Formats: sequence, C-alpha cells, structure tokens
Amino acid sequence: MALEDYQAEMERCSQCSYCTWIPLDRIKSWRFAKGCPSVAYNHFQSYSARGRYAVALSLLQGKSEYTDKVLDIVYKCHTCGSCDVSCKICRYNLEPLAAILELRAKLVEDSQSLPEHRVLIDHLHKEQNMMLKPKTARGRWAEGLNIKDLATETAEVVFHAGCRLSYDAQLQKTARTAVALLRDAGVDVGILGDKETCCGSRAYTMGYRKELTNSAARLMKAWTRAGVTTVVTSCADCYHAFKRRYPEVGATVEVLHTVEFIDRLIKQDKIKFTRAVPLTVTYHDPCHLGRQGEPYVPWKGIEKKIRKQIIVYEPRRPRYNGAWGVYDPPRDVLRSIPGVKLVEMERIREYAWCCGAGAGVREAYPDFSRWTATERIEEASHAGAEAIVSACPWCERNFIDAAATQGDGLKVFDVVDLVSQAI
Amino acid sequence: MNSKKQILMEIIGKENVFDDPETLEAYSRDYSFALPMKPWIVVYPENVGAVQKIVQWANRTQTPLVPVSSGPPHFYGDTVPSVASAVVVNLSKMNRILRIDRRNRMALIEPGVAYGQLQPELAKEGLKLNTPLLPRANKSVVASLLERQPPLVPRYQWAFLDPLRCLELVWGDGQVFTTGEAERPGSLEEEWAKKLAQVAAPGPHQTDFYKLVSAAQGSMGIVTWASVKCQMLPEIHKLFLIPSERPENIIDFTYQLLRFRFGDELLLLNRSNLASILEADTDQISVLTEKLPPWILVVGVAGLSILPEERVAFQEKDITEMAHQNGLQLLQGIPGAKADEVLHAILNPSRDPFWKLKFQGNMQDIFFLTTLDKTPGFVRIMRAIAEAHGYPVSEIGVYIQPVHQGAGCHCEFNLPFNHNDPAETSRIRGLFTRASEELLKEGAFFSRPYGIWADMAFKRDIQTTTVLKKIKGIFDPNHVMNPGKLCFHPPSP
Amino acid sequence: MALLRDIYQALEDTVGERNISEDPAVLDSYSYPLTQTAIHMGPFYDVYTPRGKAVLMPGTPQEVQAIVRICNRYNLKLKASSTFWSAMGYPSGENTIQLDMRRMDRILEIDEKNLFAVIEPGVIGTTLQAETMKLGLNTHIIGAGSSCSPLASATSYNGAGPDCMFMGFGDENLLGLEWVMPDGEILRTGSLGSGLGWFCGEGPGPGVRGIIRGVVGAKGAMGVFTKCAIKLYPWPGPPELPVEGTAPAYKAVLPDNFKAYTLAFPTWKAWADCCYQIWDAGIGYIAHRQFSLFGRELKAAMIKILTDPTKTLYDLEELVQDPEIKKLNEEMKRDFQIVLAGMTPRDIEWQNKALDHILAETGGWKVTGMNKPEIQQWALLYLIRLGHKNLNLVYGGGYDGCFGMVGPPDLGTTHAEEVTKFKCEWENKGAIVDAGGDCMIGGIGGMGGGGGTMWENFTHFDPHDKESTEGTFDFFEACSRFAREKGIPPGMERWNAPSRGADGRETPTEKREHMLSATPQPAVFYYQRKIKEAIDPNNLGDAYYLTLKEPKK
Repeated sequence: MALEDYQAEMERCSQCSYCTWIPLDRIKSWRFAKGCPSVAYNHFQSYSARGRYAVALSLLQGKSEYTDKVLDIVYKCHTCGSCDVSCKICRYNLEPLAAILELRAKLVEDSQSLPEHRVLIDHLHKEQNMMLKPKTARGRWAEGLNIKDLATETAEVVFHAGCRLSYDAQLQKTARTAVALLRDAGVDVGILGDKETCCGSRAYTMGYRKELTNSAARLMKAWTRAGVTTVVTSCADCYHAFKRRYPEVGATVEVLHTVEFIDRLIKQDKIKFTRAVPLTVTYHDPCHLGRQGEPYVPWKGIEKKIRKQIIVYEPRRPRYNGAWGVYDPPRDVLRSIPGVKLVEMERIREYAWCCGAGAGVREAYPDFSRWTATERIEEASHAGAEAIVSACPWCERNFIDAAATQGDGLKVFDVVDLVSQAI
Repeated sequence: MNSKKQILMEIIGKENVFDDPETLEAYSRDYSFALPMKPWIVVYPENVGAVQKIVQWANRTQTPLVPVSSGPPHFYGDTVPSVASAVVVNLSKMNRILRIDRRNRMALIEPGVAYGQLQPELAKEGLKLNTPLLPRANKSVVASLLERQPPLVPRYQWAFLDPLRCLELVWGDGQVFTTGEAERPGSLEEEWAKKLAQVAAPGPHQTDFYKLVSAAQGSMGIVTWASVKCQMLPEIHKLFLIPSERPENIIDFTYQLLRFRFGDELLLLNRSNLASILEADTDQISVLTEKLPPWILVVGVAGLSILPEERVAFQEKDITEMAHQNGLQLLQGIPGAKADEVLHAILNPSRDPFWKLKFQGNMQDIFFLTTLDKTPGFVRIMRAIAEAHGYPVSEIGVYIQPVHQGAGCHCEFNLPFNHNDPAETSRIRGLFTRASEELLKEGAFFSRPYGIWADMAFKRDIQTTTVLKKIKGIFDPNHVMNPGKLCFHPPSP
Repeated sequence: MALLRDIYQALEDTVGERNISEDPAVLDSYSYPLTQTAIHMGPFYDVYTPRGKAVLMPGTPQEVQAIVRICNRYNLKLKASSTFWSAMGYPSGENTIQLDMRRMDRILEIDEKNLFAVIEPGVIGTTLQAETMKLGLNTHIIGAGSSCSPLASATSYNGAGPDCMFMGFGDENLLGLEWVMPDGEILRTGSLGSGLGWFCGEGPGPGVRGIIRGVVGAKGAMGVFTKCAIKLYPWPGPPELPVEGTAPAYKAVLPDNFKAYTLAFPTWKAWADCCYQIWDAGIGYIAHRQFSLFGRELKAAMIKILTDPTKTLYDLEELVQDPEIKKLNEEMKRDFQIVLAGMTPRDIEWQNKALDHILAETGGWKVTGMNKPEIQQWALLYLIRLGHKNLNLVYGGGYDGCFGMVGPPDLGTTHAEEVTKFKCEWENKGAIVDAGGDCMIGGIGGMGGGGGTMWENFTHFDPHDKESTEGTFDFFEACSRFAREKGIPPGMERWNAPSRGADGRETPTEKREHMLSATPQPAVFYYQRKIKEAIDPNNLGDAYYLTLKEPKK
C-alpha cells in the first residue's frame, strides 16, 4: 500500500483522541491513564495517531511540506501500537498503526530519514545487524554451548538470538539460557551463529521496508536449507517480524517466542523447578509480543459498503486489535516459579505502556526513549514490584538504563533468567 | 396632583396607588438595622404589562423602584429604600397560580403567591414544594427562591437554585424577558398544548439569566412569574429526631446521609430554635429549651407514590444502622418534643407570630454559606463573641442546613432580643456587626449580602464586584432598580 | 501570513519554546474537518476550520492570562480547547491563536466529605472517575463520553449525559470557577472569589457566572477556564472498576447492588409514563436510550458484534438476517437502558421492586435478551464508564445528530414515529446508513431529578464520500423543514449554523443576524452582545458566542 491508500481513513478518523489513552474502560488512575508515549511526552496533538493522520493528510493534500517539525512528529513514535488498540475498541475500519508505518516509509522513500537511522541502516547493509558491531562477532554469545550450527547442520527448530541478544554483553546470558533450556528439554534446536542476520523488524519500523524483505529472503533461505520448521526467539521484535511480516513474503515456518515454548515445556513437565526465587515481580508485555504478536491471517481484498454507507471489507478482513497477543504464557511461566509473586501494573496486556526502545527512537531520541522507560519503571515500582520482568532484550536494555538513573533499585530480568534461577 | 403620581395612576389604576402616611411608614423600615427611608409612593401592579410600564416610566424619570412581593414583617433591609423618592412596587396582587402540572411536577406562579396559598393547592394534586424552614405564610414563594433561602430537603437540590426554574421578568431596562426553557415562540397555553412545561432552568442559549436575578435584592429586574419544580407529596412521612450533646457528633453521620442521598428533610437545630418553633406560648419557650437536648438532627423519610411503606421501612432500617455506627440514636421522641409535632411544624408555614419573633419580639439573623464540617467551629466563634458582648449564649438559635446535595451548608444564628430596650438593641447591633466581621474573617461566605454584609462581602471579592457592576450596567443601565443594595451604591448627588 | 516575529517571541517567552508551534503541519493537525462531524451544522465536504496562527500549550493560569493580554494588545483572536473533539473548539476565522489545554491536566483536590473535585481543563472524565471511585465517589460524564473534559462540558458546551437524572447536568454541577476573562482579568466565582474555597458557585449576590453558561456554554468564545470545582456523587461500588474480557468486549462484573436493564414498552405513551414514574420514585443511577444510536434495525446485531471479540462489522449483514436478532430488534423498538445502583442491599432491593412495580403499571418489561450476564456486564461497563462513545462513528467515521426534541417525554414520544418514517425515506436514498430510521439516542432525565428527554437522531455517513456528505447535508436541511411543518421545536442539526458556515469560517454577519432575529427572543442576543462588549472589548472570541445588534428604537 501507499500513503494515498490511507487517505480515506485519514478522513474517516473519529477525531476522538482515544488513541492518546489506553482503552478508557481499563483506566484505573490518573497517573497511569495514558497510552501513547509520543503525545504524552511531546504534548502537541500532532504526536498522536489522530494528529499523524492529520499531518499525513496535510502532506498529501500539498498543504504543508517536510520540515524538521514534521520529521520530529513522524519519527518520535515508538510504533508501539497502543493507539491502534484503543482506536479499535470502537472502530472496525481504521488502521492507525499501519498508517503511521506507511507515513514513515513515505518519508524514507522521499529521503526524509534521520541521520541516526541512516547510520544504522548503512551498517545493516554491511554487517547485517542493528548494533553497529561486526557480523563476524555475531555468534560468539553461544560459545561453549555445543548447539547445532545450522550453517552446516539441520534441525527442526532454529533459535534466533536477534541483534540485541547477540551483541549486548550484559544480556547475552538470556540467549544462552534460552537455547540451553531448549536443548536440555530434548528439543532438536540449532542456531545460525555468525550466519544469523538481523530480522529487519527495527529497520521496517524506521521506514525501511525493503531491508525487512531482504532480511526475510536471507533468513528464509537459510532456514529452508537447514530443514527448519519452527523458529523460536527471545526477542519480541524478531518474533513480530517472523510472525506477521515474513508470511507476507511467503514464510511458512511456525513461530514461537521462548516464553511460549517454555510454557509448553513446563506444562508437559519437561522443565521442573527445584529452587525458589523469592521475588515480587511484575511482567512487562513487549509491544511486539503482546498486542503486535497476534497470529497472522492472510488477506487480500477490497473495501465495500453495506447498508448504504457502512464500510466493510470483502472478503472479511482480519482485525488486529491486540486481543490475541501472547499474554498468558509468560505469566503462567512466572506464576509457576516457586517463590515468585506476580503483581500486575495498571497498564498490561494489549494496553501495556511501551518500553521506549522501539522504531529507532532509542537511537535518535534518547531522552524521549529514556523518559518512556522511566514511566514504566515508576509504574512497576507503584505496583509494588522488586523487579520488572520482560520477554524482549530491547525492553530489558531500556529498563536497565532507565533504572540506573532512577536509583530506586528496581531489578530487570528476562522471564528466562528467573526460570534458570529456579532450575 | 403630582404629575408623576398621575402617570402612575394612569398606568395601573387609581386603586393601586398609595401614598398615605401609614402605608409609607410601613415600608420605611423593617426589623433590620437598615436606616429607615420612606418611599415616595407604593404601587400594586396586577400584570406584567403594568410592571413593564412602571419600569419604563422609572427609566424615563430616573425614579428608583423597590420591588416587594411578600407580606410583612421583613427582616433584611432589602425592601427598605436606600435612597429618597423611591417607588415601592408591591407585587402581592399578582398572586395567581397559573398552572399546576402534576405529570411534569411543575407549578407556574406569580410573585404574589405565598407559601400559605401554594402548598394546599399543590397538595390537591399530590405535590409539594421543597420549602425553607417555617417561612411566613405570607412569604412570597418566588421571592424566597430568588433570595436562595435554603430548602429543607437537600437531596432535591441538583442545582443550587432548585426548585426555581424558568422566569418571566421585566429587566431594569424595561425589557420583558423569559428565561430557560420558557423561551418559546408561543403563549404559555400554546406551549402547554405542545407538551412543553417550562422545566429546564438554564439559558436561553449561553447565559443563565435566572442566576443574574437571584440574590439580587430586586436590583436587576422584577420577576412576574416563575416555574418551580415540585416533589411528590408523601403518602407516608416519618420524622426522626437524633439528639446530641455537641454538633460535632452528628457531622459524619449527616455526611453519610448526604452521600447516600438517604432521608428527605435533613437539618440541625439547637434546642433554642426548636423550642421557638414548637412552643406556642412565648413564656414557655425557655422552659422547653431547658428540656430539649442541646442539638437535634431532624431527619425525615418520605414514602412517595411507589411502594411507600417499603421505602420508609428500608430507609429507617439503614439510617438506624448508620446512626448506631456513629453512636447516635434515631428517635420518635425526645425530652420536650415528639417527631410528629416537629414534622407538622416544619412542613407548614410559621404560625403567627413569626416563630423567630416569638421569644423576644425581635431578632437579628446572621447567616452564610460554608461547608458542614466547618459549622461547629462557627458555632464556637459565635458563642465566644456573644459572651464577650454579654449576650446569653443559651438564647442563640442555631440552624444548620445542608444545601445543594451537601456541597455546601447554610449556617444561621438567630439572636432574639427585646427591641423595646434601647440598651439591648444597641448591644445587639454591636454584636451583630462584630460577629459578622469575625465570622467573615474565619471563612463565612455571605452569599446573600444584606445590609452591612454587602460591603464586607464585595470588598473581599473585587473582581466579582467589577463584573457585577458591568452586568448591572447592562440590565439596569439607569440604575433604577433598588439602588444602594449589594455593591450598587447610588451616585453622589 | 505568519505572526509578526515580536508577537511570536512574546508568546514563546510566555509558554517556552517547547510549547508553541507555527509549523503548518502542526497547525493542520489542529484544524478540524467539517466533513466528519461538525456538530450541528454542515457537514461540509472537504472543508476544514481555518489554520490558527500558532498553537500554544500553557501550563498555568498565569501563562493563560499573559497570552490573553498579548492577544488583546495585538488584536488576535483566541480559541482554547481541551480535547478538540468538536468544531466549537477551533478557530472560525484567520488571525486566531489556539490554546491546547492538555498540559493543565491535574486533579487538584477531591473533597470527599463535601463531594466535589477541583480540576484543570485537561482532565478527562475517565481519569476523574477512576480517582473518585477510589473514594467511593463518581462524576457526571457527558453523552459524548469519558474522553471529554468535565471542565469543558461544565463551562463551554451542553453537558447532558446518561447519568443526568442522578448526577445532574453540567450546569448544575459547576461550583467555583477560575476564569481568565477575554479582557485579561481573572475572575474566580462564588466562594472561590472570596478566598473561601470551591463549594459554592454563586454570589456574593447574583450568580455572575451566569454570563458564560446557559444551556450550551461559552463554546470557547469567552476567554479560558483554567480550573473549576465539579460536584461529585456516590459510587457504591468497588474502588476500581472490575473490568474483564477480551478487547473490545470488555465488561464489568459488579456486585449485586448494580443492575443494568433494557426496558421496552408496548407504546410510546407507556415509555413516557415509565420515565415519569421513575423520576417520581427517585430510582435509577443512569438512564439513557443508548444503543438505539446504531439504528432500529441494526442495534441487536451491533450489540452482538460488540460483545463478541471475534466479530466485526463484516458480520452485520448476516446477523441482521438472524430471526433471533430480528425478534430482539422488534422487542426493543421502544426501549431505553437503565442502571440501578443501590447504596445498600436494602436500597437495591427496593429499587428493583419499585422498577418492577412501575413496569407492571406501564406495561413495560425487561428485555430478556439483554439480561444475559455477558451482555448485562458489558452494558454496565458501557454506561458507567461511557468509554465507547467513539462508536458514534463506528459505521464509517461520519456522524451528526438531527431533531432532538428536547423537552418532556410527552414531546419526544409524540413525534418519534413520524421522525423515524421521515428518516427511513432518506436512508433509502443512499447517502446515509440504512439503519431503520430510528437512531434516536438521548438521556432519560436531562437534568437532576429528571424532567426531560432528548432524541438526537444519529445520522451516519461517510466523510470520505462526497455524495454521502452532501446527501447528509441535504437531509439535515430537510429535517429542519420537516420540523417546521410538523410543529416540532427546532432541531439540533442546525444549532451551530449561526456561528460557522459552509466555508468553515464565521457565518457572515448578515446571515447570522437574520437567523438570530428570527428566534423567539432576539433580546437574548442583544444582552449577550452587551455582555461581550463589557468583558471582551477587543473581540478575542468568535461567533460561537452569539450576539445581535439591537435595532435602533
């Protein structure tokens, strides 16, 4: 689709500002009512989904041009999808997140990208990662684990570490633990090591679509060659790419997040806990595992009207509204760990507050990114948690960095970390 | 004959114009400390056309007008002219009940309709008005509502001005005007035929015109009819008396009732006031005062047209439980008073003599708005000041009335005194002034600023005063309406 | 033309660089499409409100005052809005500074005993409700839903809603008010002005704030309201609304002292009789003809879609054919929704009995199909939180309302069927959604204690579609004519026509004056003109505050 294809939606936006808040039914307090970090931080209405519809329409109609402010509006957005969920509480014929992503892609196409993003994308082209690191160092996180190397071997399951877990020294343990858990549970699992490349998800959300397509082509080829039928990853960004974007370009592999797999293994008694982890924790739903982690449903169709002026789609169009994301498996895992007490924040599941790391914001707008993460840290502390636990290394990195400046001692873990402590 | 008098006679008829010394004397003073001032003439218009002509004439001739609707006695100085040569416009002849609409529970009344006249007529239709505490039988209902006298049942006051709804009035500039939903193209009869009923007060459009004449002491215009919201006449009506040694003890319980909107009549009286209300024999008021508990919370529970017994029964049980949780008792009788007699008293206008005058022949009221939780503090302040002035604390009447569903509270002190004793009168004057100043300092909001309260209240709020004067300049540009009241000081000669 | 640099600098110095913008794209995001829902005028295809000169986000009343003074000095117009969800909050001419009030979003105080909250303009109904519920209290929420600003509703527009019967109308709930007047002075009304707190909105003496409220409020044309106190009401429920379910089919599982029913009646007279008896009895917490917004023929199907997270609008056609759905629609033809909330177990027991008694007397009944737990729980949440008012636009993004018939129930019920038939004829023409003619939604109450009903006939259209939009405009013109012919009071569809016209700008003076002169009492607007001259001498406000020149005598 092109931006013009969203013009009808821009004109059909309710102008209600529900995109600013979490679903109103779910609001429990004044403090934690907001859903969109972008408008909460930047304040101008332009920074909400509603505002971006209006900005996009203004550009399309030739009423305004690209300015620094326009770029600021377009890029100071985590593409977390909170707006999409809230909008779709009532609207069945708007796709605000898709329109926001399309707007971004349009800017990139028109050479209106950010220098901070260009640096990353240039590096991606050369070294196939988003961490500004050499590709040759990618597989080092798995040294000593004795995991199948799918560059030369085959396996049913590939564990895809992702860029962050491959290179972030503090977080690599999560990848090590995850793949070891799979291995020890008897799963036929392998890794691509230094042949693993970026999934392309973060580039996509920055507006670089062809980079995702290229990544998909590379990885799908590698998986096919390795006989892979299931992809498991501990990164929510990668999860979303594999689950929702890759099928658009022909992928047919089963996609699971590590927490889904572990949840399965626990319920099958293939993982047994022997130690207690006495800790009060709260779980942060990563955007791309939660509301953007819904199953993919292929669709190609057209808009039509019924009852004279009701907008529907033929055939029936899938509705991604966050309802069917991955919410319960990580919670079930945490609840099953002896000693762990799970408390919930106010904004959870499909209406969770973003970690702040997504869509190139961490790289281009570190203050905004840190602010978003700090909001979440405060929410976790407010819930009475000693630790915030997530299932995405980008979330965890952002929380670790924000918590360090807060000084209130909130710990940050991955679900897998606590599982390994209990085994 | 004076040509001005001639013109007035032509406007409203000879029989409606009075300037005999006795009549003028009667309007020259009231029970307040307002400086006596004789009006020039008293007129009795009978319809809105006559009122309009009078106002237009007053504008042409720069003649001050003082509207009066209620019969005597008057207490707050608002009906005593503040300037010379005023015309008192007495609306008591405009005393028609224009309509009682049972289905919509609305009554349309002229300003001369008094409580003694209205309540029995409403009762015939199964209705009643939410009335203030023992108004005079000849008290104008419209005037009482315009003055924002607090009604007994706070749960019926969604709007602060409830039950007052729409008005027809003549503004000080001579314009006849209707407010609220009454602004419609047709006559009243035509609107009623269309099923309209003058129910909604706001407006029309972007101005709440009716608020501009409320508590205005006749300084903005003259109301010629009003629609008022009525309540169902209870089929069963029980009253409960909750005695207490101190007002503090019943505050939390009262708040609970207000929050749940349980009970109907809800007011706190001290023994002195309840005795004055109940005791017909003046000499026995002190005796009854001694018998009664110091404070009495009065709670009414009404059963209306739907399942009345059940309503009264469940509320009685719930309120009793709530009272017990607060260490209080719901009683049908207390030493000196039975609930039934109190109920009868408060549901009816005052007998003659007016209940507040019974004890000593005269009295001064100090009343203001505050919040319920602050009232015990004000009681302490009033007592301390009374003591300092040598006024017997036991004689102070206290009436505390939650208003606007509990958002605010009317706090009233009644100071009976013998006006035939100059020394006592002087002491009361000093006490009244001093107490008003101290209470204001401690947070009393004189929202109905009669007499000396006007300067006190308006000096405290310069911006409101400025805007109010602008409003006055719009609706009464020639300042003919009761000059000298509120912040509208007459220009120097 | 951009603002002169020294003016821009003065404004920037007031609010800070971060809180001002004149970027064209930003300004366009503060421009409102009058196609989509202009609120009681139009719709006008491909017309937008004019761009402001700049948009500012003040953080304090002092900043607001400074801005107002700058506007006075440089003859700029001013338009403030809290949530920007209707055309009233937008400029109607060039040369306007826009204020986005969202930074002033604090709940400053909740007085639990005296039952009021003090709020800033950026507070929305939901957050106020969430905070007050923690204390066993609740707030009136207007019909446009809880994403709106209670301060804005109380001061600047209508303020009616489903809970009016119990919780009063916007006007009734407004206590003290802090107001930066158009002349740059700050007025604090009632007890607040005397430094005595927020509890009383009137006095000393007359209620000065009467000059900015009325039925429809100041509509953003009389300065800026920076704080107000709002009356609160009891909430006999848990401190947090217990919401469950899969999006979007959220529901609230409340204790037994809460009940939600859909009541239906054999005749419109019985419907009206029931309203009166409910008010006479003093029962009910919320009462509204709510789900009719979807249309007589579509509402049961829409409820099915909204309560099933696997369904979408695509399922509508099939569902509408379902015999059970058809039967439910027929049963609910003359309906409204009611929520009972008992303060105590005995209270809810009595209210339930009283309601049954009233139904027996009037021949009404509780619609069983709406009593299924998942639907009742959904309805309870819907009506209490009113967080789904975006559904007004569910079909295609365009909605506006016509008729209205604001007044006692006997007025609306007299005309309900002829209005339905009239709308059906227009639905058949194709520009608006074919929903069954009766999309009439409105409060059962209208004000505290009851007394009025409203019958806003929702008209759904596609703002992207020129024919649909222009056809809707034609329909609304026809509604006005129809009402005149039938003796129905003037409808809502043109309430704001005197203020703004087809080009998105102020209605031309001559046209406006002609309209206002034809109203039953033009003197209203003569006085409003004088009020405006007195407090807005430099004409900062636009024609949403209506004025009329008095003819020379």
